[in-house]
Amino acid sequence: MEELKWFAVDFFQAVTAGLLVGGTYGLMCVGLGIIFGVMRVVNFAQGDFMMLGMYITYYLVTGFGVLAFLGPYAGPVVGAALAGPVVFAIGWLLHRYLLARITGARVISAEAEGHYTQIIMTLGVALVLANGGLILFGSTPLSVQTPMSRESWEVWLIFFNQARTVAFVLAILFAVGLYLFLTKSDLGKMLRAAADNPIAAAYVGIDVDRSHRFAFGLGVGITAVAGGLLASTQSFQPYIGFDFVIVMYAGVVLGGMGSILGAFWGGLTIGLVQQVSTLVLPYQLQNTAIFVIFLLIIFFRPQGMFGRVWERA
Amino acid sequence: MGRSDKAKQYFAIFAFAGVYLLIGWFVRNSYYQLMMTLVLIWATVGISWNMLSGYSGMISFGHAAFFGLGGYTMTIAFVTFGITPWIGIPLGVVVGVIAGIIIGLPTFRLRGHYFALSMLAYPLAMLYVFEWMGYQEVSLPMKREAPTLYAQFNDQRTYMALALVLLVICMIISLHVERSRFGRSLLAIKQNEAAASAAGINPLRWKMLAMMLSAAIGAAAGGLYAIVLLVVTPQTMFGALVSAQALIMALFGGVGVFWGPVIGAAVLVPLAETLHAELGSVIPGIQGVVYGIAIIVIILLAPEGIYWRIREWLARPATLIKRPVSWAPAAANAASVVPIAESRTQTAPADGPLLHLQAVRRTFGGLRAVDDVTLDIKPGTIHGIIGPNGAGKTTLFNVINGFLAADSGNITFAGTKLTGLKPHDVCRHGIGRTFQVVRAFPRMTVLENVVIGAFVGSTSNAEAARLAMTALDRVGLADEQADAIAGGLTTKQLRLMELARALAPGPRLLLLDETLAGLGHDALEDVLRIIRQINRDGVTIAIIEHTMHAMVKLVDRFSVLDHGKLIADGAPADVVKDRNVIEAYLGRKWMERAHDSVA
Amino acid sequence: MLTIRSLDVAYGGLNALSDVSLDVDEGQFVAVVGPNGAGKTTLFKTISGVVTPIVGEIVYKGQDLLKVPPNERAQLGIAHVPEGRQVFASMTVKENLEMGSSTRKSRARRAELLKTVLELFPILAERRDQLAGTLSGGEQQMLAIGRGLASAPDLLMLDEPSMGLAPTIVDAIFDRIEFIHRHHGVTILLVEQRVAEALELCDRGYVLETGRMVLEGSHDTLISNTRVKHAYLGM
Repeated sequence: MEELKWFAVDFFQAVTAGLLVGGTYGLMCVGLGIIFGVMRVVNFAQGDFMMLGMYITYYLVTGFGVLAFLGPYAGPVVGAALAGPVVFAIGWLLHRYLLARITGARVISAEAEGHYTQIIMTLGVALVLANGGLILFGSTPLSVQTPMSRESWEVWLIFFNQARTVAFVLAILFAVGLYLFLTKSDLGKMLRAAADNPIAAAYVGIDVDRSHRFAFGLGVGITAVAGGLLASTQSFQPYIGFDFVIVMYAGVVLGGMGSILGAFWGGLTIGLVQQVSTLVLPYQLQNTAIFVIFLLIIFFRPQGMFGRVWERA
Repeated sequence: MGRSDKAKQYFAIFAFAGVYLLIGWFVRNSYYQLMMTLVLIWATVGISWNMLSGYSGMISFGHAAFFGLGGYTMTIAFVTFGITPWIGIPLGVVVGVIAGIIIGLPTFRLRGHYFALSMLAYPLAMLYVFEWMGYQEVSLPMKREAPTLYAQFNDQRTYMALALVLLVICMIISLHVERSRFGRSLLAIKQNEAAASAAGINPLRWKMLAMMLSAAIGAAAGGLYAIVLLVVTPQTMFGALVSAQALIMALFGGVGVFWGPVIGAAVLVPLAETLHAELGSVIPGIQGVVYGIAIIVIILLAPEGIYWRIREWLARPATLIKRPVSWAPAAANAASVVPIAESRTQTAPADGPLLHLQAVRRTFGGLRAVDDVTLDIKPGTIHGIIGPNGAGKTTLFNVINGFLAADSGNITFAGTKLTGLKPHDVCRHGIGRTFQVVRAFPRMTVLENVVIGAFVGSTSNAEAARLAMTALDRVGLADEQADAIAGGLTTKQLRLMELARALAPGPRLLLLDETLAGLGHDALEDVLRIIRQINRDGVTIAIIEHTMHAMVKLVDRFSVLDHGKLIADGAPADVVKDRNVIEAYLGRKWMERAHDSVA
Repeated sequence: MLTIRSLDVAYGGLNALSDVSLDVDEGQFVAVVGPNGAGKTTLFKTISGVVTPIVGEIVYKGQDLLKVPPNERAQLGIAHVPEGRQVFASMTVKENLEMGSSTRKSRARRAELLKTVLELFPILAERRDQLAGTLSGGEQQMLAIGRGLASAPDLLMLDEPSMGLAPTIVDAIFDRIEFIHRHHGVTILLVEQRVAEALELCDRGYVLETGRMVLEGSHDTLISNTRVKHAYLGM
């Protein structure tokens, strides 16, 4: 009985850890989901924008200490939040000067080649960002240390790492905020309209190109915020983006490509899978479990939990 | 692309190899020797990528899987079992091919993004597995007692020679693939898989073959890489940068042509390696930045790679590039028409219908696109399928053809059941199809475009060429036009070329989808004449059209569809007077008004 | 209000339109009919800006429309109700209408405009919070028209509203279109395959056949004209 009890504890611990980290993953996936939902672009560089978010948060809080005056609790949070607009701006510019030349409303109905140029361009961007990051930031792993990073709350034998819990709560808040933006605000609705039917959107006067640009900036900005939140819970280095690309795509595909809400649930589920799998798999293989899930979904239910069946044959 | 062209390519390959060897001989610095070897290896990896993704359009972000498997097979065989790399590398190739099959079978069912993303996942998964298995870093042991036996050489240039041999072999394989039925089929699949399968090409079979060949080459390159570097880690063998490099070499240098990866590697590898050597300590990661910028620049300026951009510059737009006709018979004259009956022997009752549809139904969601349609197409007739917009005509063709499955009902063709067959099998049975939107292969000549259709009806390339020339004759695209690049044709010529492609294997039934749309008056008359002649030669024709005044002159019989249902079927003169038909086209009120004015 | 002169358009490699000219005066109801493949939808796409003509001019209220990008044309007061409805399937009826009134002019009057549309199409009011993708074909058509109206347009363009709909529903739709024209004085350009309904309601009409205008005239001259029948049925 004792063993069963401890297994149960282990299990719930894993579930808790999974949910906590899953919240942040969910936010990350929402960023990717927005880009994919609106622009139909597979953005390889998404993980690297997350990486940027982590480093910006770091430099704001610890590196240059700009936010030190806010104290060790509020600082990291504000830092993560500020990473959003900064990366938004970077994403906006990137779209304006690079991506827009090969994506946009004109290419919505293009053949397969048009799509591949998008993916490949983002691959180039990913390489530049990751390696540029290596040059700028160096390869030493960093993290944003807060007093909560190493502390945990204990509830019924389950440990809730404080930093992760805070990150979880904040991720939920940001996600809710985003949800409200998309459903209640005019701009949000126009984004959804451009995602739903770009031709009809143009007919009602929506500037679809501009919507794409905004969606791209928003998408990478949100993922950057998620990165900033993660920054206080784990260490990171410039190549961390590559590790997360599959995690994010698995989440988005699981949730359903095209469904922004689905992306959040997908990310949450992936976090769960990752942590729960450590109960049966060795630590190094936790991402392998994600891949397996990812492949299974693609083969058997490509539309995921909430998505529409979107295929370009 | 006749034998002389192949000879030219061979010459170029060996000239390249000779020059490279010569340069290499004079290079003394071992770092530069290594670099020259790496150029060759990465060129080979690029060729591997090209074999699958460049030729067929299935973009793979996971070629590191094969590279890594090849490298690790050789390494493990060597380190754990003491097997010499001379055997280990071929072993790696076998493992690679098996992996290619295992990966290909499920993954080829996916399209576009899903395919690319899946391919990304495989090597990353392998990376984690190998790390977990404890292969963080494996060094190949030195075998001083019998270095040659274990493929270990003091002189780096020997490795370069080995790599050159491998590259040359792969280039020759690619050359042959490009010029063969295999390569043509892949190209057709890349351009328009639907049209290719309607022309009798089995997409899965060719893709799988491409995958196997690609995996073999990639694994060989991986094995060689491991010997050259003597150290393997999961990151260097399975890492994302490896897959990226495979893609970049081909993309930068030229997609779909074997010179592409060679150009790409020759430019990028020295650039990246030199920068890394000079600045690597100050600016780590410079290699990745170089590759990233290379991708971005090439996508913006020359999306298909340098090779094609150069060729475009060299070819002045006004002149059509004259390329030797492939496998052309010495004399192709109008008299040598291949009799149709030869190619398909199916006995059907003399006065029974050629194509019989029985209660065929196909719904999409709630919409009945084809609603309980029963009709016959009699042999030797021209049968028009008409109806207002959205009536389900193209859907009907798609069901007959095999692109869509019928929800219920039967389709029989000359006694054989067609329901459930895939498009390329339907084509094999003797049904040809043209599509509303003509998709030519713009860089290929007219003849090459048509030959694709002829593959299914021929066993040899020469025979395919003969069939193609005959078909071109029948549609009136003469010799000069046969050599023309398809990208420069007029609408009428494109339509005729499509027609020739469908005609080439000698079908008994042709399904024509809006062949006359958008043609001017004279062009229309020409095409009508050609269609009538084809029919007189014995081909039954079913044609969807909207240009009514042309149709009434052409067809023997009309079937009218509206909202998926068959509302009239008979001689043209009767059908156009049929109340239901007039109502379907013009509206009920028109009928009422006409009725009122008569009454 | 809208003047089109000598339009030549190539689309999908075909000569979709040759030397097409037409006029729409303010307050008029103009119909363009013709068999499928005649180029009617291409004409609309050219006016909307999705397709660019090789030659020709389009002048709208004195302004050269060809210089205006597609999404700006909506801001000028042109509402395009596209072929096949093209509603925003993942958004609610209400949100669709809100998107319809996202032009600068109409945004200020949104509440009032939405009210008008919902009065015009009571069934949409009933289903205001329902996802547009779950509506029936006829309801979607009404929504598409309502969305067009929500921008308070000066010119309402309708592309084959009857397509894919059952005859009784078609009647209801045309009834509403007529009402919109009569009561709200909206200028209408209608493209239709179903000739009688279109010609019935119009002030003037054009017949398009294989990319050319073969006939034009007032309502009276076109109704029951055998040349029209010939264009459709070839004899």
